[in-house]
Amino acid sequence: MASSQHVLLSPAELAYLHASLSLAPPIRPDGRSPTQFRPLVAETGILPGTNGSARICFADGTEAIVGVKAEVERTAQRSGDETVFLEEGGAGGDDDDEEEEAGQGLEKRKGDASWVEMTVEIPGLRDDDSGTAFLAAMLSEALLADGGFTKRLWINRRFHWKLYLDIILISPPLSYPLPLLSLTTHLALLSTRLPRLKSEGDEDPFFDDDWAAAPYLFPRTSSTNIATAKSTTPAAAIRPPITLLVMAVGNNIIFDPSKEELAVADVALAVSVTGSSPSHYAATGTGEEAGRNLRLLSIRTVDPPSRLTPPGLANAANTAYGPSNGTMGTQKMAEARAAETEAAEGVWRPPRGGAKRMVLGALVQKVLERGGVVDEVLDALEGVDSG
Amino acid sequence: MPREAEPSLNEKQFVIQALQENLRLDGRELDQYRPLELSFGDQYGLADVKLGKTRVLAKATAEVTVPYTDRPLDGIFTIATELGPMTSPAFEVNRPTETEVLLSRLLEKTVRRSGALDTESLCLVAGQKCWSVRVDVHVLSHDGNLIDASCLAVVAALRHFRKPDTSMEAGVLTVYTPAEREPVPLSWLHSPFCVTWSFFGEEGEIAVLDATWIEEQVRVGSCTVSLNKHGEICQIAKLGGTPVEAVALLQCVSVSLTKVKEFSDLLDRKLAEDLKRRDKGGFMAELRAENDR
Amino acid sequence: MPLDTSTYNLALLRVDGRRWNELRRVHAQIRTQAAADGSSYLEMGHTKVMCVVTGPSEPGPRRGTGGGGAGGGGAAAGAGAKAEVVVSIVIAGFSSVDRKRHGRGDKRTLELQSTVANALAASLHTHLFPHSQVNISLHVLSQDGSLLAALINAATLACVDAGIPMTDYVAACTAGSTSTYAANDEGADPLLDLNHQEEQELPGLTVATLGESDRVVVLVCESRVQVSRLEGMLAVGVDGCKQVREILDRVVREKGRRMVQEGTVEKGIGLNEMDVD
Repeated sequence: MASSQHVLLSPAELAYLHASLSLAPPIRPDGRSPTQFRPLVAETGILPGTNGSARICFADGTEAIVGVKAEVERTAQRSGDETVFLEEGGAGGDDDDEEEEAGQGLEKRKGDASWVEMTVEIPGLRDDDSGTAFLAAMLSEALLADGGFTKRLWINRRFHWKLYLDIILISPPLSYPLPLLSLTTHLALLSTRLPRLKSEGDEDPFFDDDWAAAPYLFPRTSSTNIATAKSTTPAAAIRPPITLLVMAVGNNIIFDPSKEELAVADVALAVSVTGSSPSHYAATGTGEEAGRNLRLLSIRTVDPPSRLTPPGLANAANTAYGPSNGTMGTQKMAEARAAETEAAEGVWRPPRGGAKRMVLGALVQKVLERGGVVDEVLDALEGVDSG
Repeated sequence: MPREAEPSLNEKQFVIQALQENLRLDGRELDQYRPLELSFGDQYGLADVKLGKTRVLAKATAEVTVPYTDRPLDGIFTIATELGPMTSPAFEVNRPTETEVLLSRLLEKTVRRSGALDTESLCLVAGQKCWSVRVDVHVLSHDGNLIDASCLAVVAALRHFRKPDTSMEAGVLTVYTPAEREPVPLSWLHSPFCVTWSFFGEEGEIAVLDATWIEEQVRVGSCTVSLNKHGEICQIAKLGGTPVEAVALLQCVSVSLTKVKEFSDLLDRKLAEDLKRRDKGGFMAELRAENDR
Repeated sequence: MPLDTSTYNLALLRVDGRRWNELRRVHAQIRTQAAADGSSYLEMGHTKVMCVVTGPSEPGPRRGTGGGGAGGGGAAAGAGAKAEVVVSIVIAGFSSVDRKRHGRGDKRTLELQSTVANALAASLHTHLFPHSQVNISLHVLSQDGSLLAALINAATLACVDAGIPMTDYVAACTAGSTSTYAANDEGADPLLDLNHQEEQELPGLTVATLGESDRVVVLVCESRVQVSRLEGMLAVGVDGCKQVREILDRVVREKGRRMVQEGTVEKGIGLNEMDVD
């Protein structure tokens, strides 16, 4: 899948950009360090009519809004489910204690991928466009990867929440929107609240009218209530996933590439990771000094637009510069061909072939580093004030 | 995508200048319709409307289906419009143009949403069986004012239409053929008609009824008013275009009402004529129909 | 009728506590989006709309009719004598109370697109930009009645922000009547600015006027109503449009004043060339 529109850079500019990004340390056009993110504006709870919503505005001007809506849906009963639930019957009585229930019944709770529906709207693209369908698939894949998410939507044996995630790109699609959409979705899910269940057991569910009492879909464990944080299981503290775009030029690994940087990438990956909330680890003390357990959910290679850029032509092979004797000897032709296949300094050649295994390994390592970039991003998003 | 040929600058200028002198190309008054011809087919529910060179054919049909789950007590009523290449080379099959979308929305709002047809009467067995009435609008020739002609055709077709009689006995639904029992008319509540105004001039100060195609191509705005003869507005649509004084629009609406009454009378008269034609006694009528051929 | 209109006659207050001639709170911002040529955010009560304008620019290759939206602008685009106004509206699935998916091919959305395009084309000086295209992309984030009016107002603001020359503001609002279509009661009051609940139960219309004049750009009525009600509703609607125009004007002037005060006019990417001269 092509990751972006055409980049209007000449081969010479591409070569220069590629060269400066391959230096050690790389020099990026906007002076950032390789792991530095561009500043972004984020807010949550912007739409009172939704269960959760968020807006993120990237520095390049691209902006996205995500709204989450939940509806109660009857669970389609399948044969065989019944036996599983029967075992759980004893524990199901004390639904009042949310946390405890979460701890005991979690393993037995069922979830189904069809409980989550995700749509992506990109202006100027048809809604059945392969690009938007692919984006939606990538985002929901990361969300559903570990199967833990849909378990949160379980109400009782007969009912569950159906979660609709509508992702809208407000701005024109200037750059590859995947990271923006993923971060916005993450934030919207963090701010999502579902009404508090008042009914017990398997009766038709009814809910508390008080929105202030509605618990978060991803329980907030701020430092003030470490006690509750301790009692939650690691699974409950897992945050929604984020998908980041990471690219490599030479042996340099660069985070949050801009559109121009992406145009010279040797390899670009969309990496989905998930982690637990930081306070959980601070409380239980299982983690190291800082950082959290990051789990890799999926990796997808993204076809960087660099493959489609026109190659540069070395002066030696350029007939416009060479001696214009009209007839071009066979030797000259061979030279020209050699120049096209071999790399010459300062001449842009679009990357061919796959990524080096070493680079890929280093890339994933870098993403999953404790206290690394992903930690920073997750912390920052956690810090966005809700409401 | 093929496009309609545009009138030349001279043509445009000519039409506009003439209108400014209260003259129209075909010698009509500004608020005068072209000669309106309405005829019905041999079958029930087929109406043919000719408005000058514009000709629209509407055909109503009914079949028994399952109602929508969210509306178990209502029947199904749809109006289908399709502007094909027969109408004009600018229209393509399966690619709705703006004209077609707006036409179908207008008919929808005028006839369906105003509740002209009582959809509850189409229900046979709640939640299981209902009539699905469908009107297909075929535009045979396009010379402007498609909306008014189509709306008249749809209303005429539906009022002319007879659906097979049914009965419910001990939970068994019987649909009778026309030979067994005379088909019954639809439960019709009111007859809305569209009147389309076209505006010309810098300020949209010239208001013209029943514009021809060339007039439609040079107009600066239009406004379609749907009314029934009881003076109820079913819909008004002035979707953009050059702004027009509010007072002038009110004037247009009141003139529309007199036009709608004329349409209504015409339709009633034609329906009565058609009924008389069919009512010559079942056997004799069939003989006569054979002679016609 | 679920909406109890009988209480209206007692206190002359509507379901949300407004009087007959009161607008809901209108909140608007312009230049909300750095990457666009023009942008705006508009709230009319709980109806929330965002608008992004790109252009006037060279018309790009058409990427399918589905996303292209409805074109307007009076003259045929092929002639190229005028800029074409292309509007695309995205109604978010979460915008209404019950989550509903709105496809792009939805006829109602297409009609809205065409209405906004034609309404703005009448005010924008499109003849100054031959062979070009103005792209207006509207996003509906929350719906609570008066949707078309909010869309038109947001698009107007965004076009002002984009610096496209226009005759005047196109301001829109809705008006309704407390009477039902059947009742011919003379005591029926006109109402200004309907919310969703009122829109469902009462006859109403959407009016858009040009500037401070009484000239109507858009008049859409989608409900059954007595002809005699129309005049009152239209008068109230036109008056409401003038109030809306005042509000829009204040938003633009406020933003302009603040930009001058700050000394640095924060520019969108596409605006650099335009602000030079």
